Amino acid sequence: MSANKQATFTHTKFVDPTPLPESVPKVDELGVTSAPLKSASFFIGQYCKEYNDDFMLCKSENNDPKHCLTEGRKVTRCAINLITKLRENCGKEFEAHWQCLEKNNQELSACRTPERTFNTCVFDKLGLEKKIPGTPEGSEQIHNKKNPVY
Amino acid sequence: MPVPFESLLPFAIIAGMYVVTATGLSVTRYYSNDKKPTRHGLDTWEKQMMERDRRLTGSLRGQSDSPIASAAFATNSIWYLEKQRNH
Repeated sequence: MSANKQATFTHTKFVDPTPLPESVPKVDELGVTSAPLKSASFFIGQYCKEYNDDFMLCKSENNDPKHCLTEGRKVTRCAINLITKLRENCGKEFEAHWQCLEKNNQELSACRTPERTFNTCVFDKLGLEKKIPGTPEGSEQIHNKKNPVY
Repeated sequence: MPVPFESLLPFAIIAGMYVVTATGLSVTRYYSNDKKPTRHGLDTWEKQMMERDRRLTGSLRGQSDSPIASAAFATNSIWYLEKQRNH
């Protein structure tokens, strides 16, 4: 009975180091961690909109990972492209914003001041503007409000 | 006659115990989070992102903004073969 059961107290996690097959084109993975990614998220959404939409529509057709490899590669390349541009043009403001996010539980509402300088820099250099899609017509974007609470 | 200071010593001792344990806990959490404030209110998304950060940088709170990941990142994800149980 207990001789046939498997040991359930495994201490090492299973990691599979075999790489993808050679038939799949090689693309570098995005190396940005969560805080800089959150900081750049709205700009990625605007800059890479077509590729992201293609990938989402492809996934909604068929959720199999093999089905959407091409669209996925385009998404990754677009994001890498934008992060490189952000670091070149607005590196200091970008770093300031995501360091602030790391200190504040990654809450965007806690870091509006560095976010303002970062957004103006990105708008001047790259022409991207952060817009939150669900805001009601007529009311200002929440990150631009001078007094969001009162 | 006013209250003697000796009678308030037990309160001071007990309050001091609270101060010591709270400071100890706060300092432990600070240093175990790479000298950053603790993250709270974590949902599944945040936990998955922190696991991804661990795969990229080695620590759950480590951050990096290099666009291209190291080569090991492509294959170092954990496969959960068994249902996670607490014994």
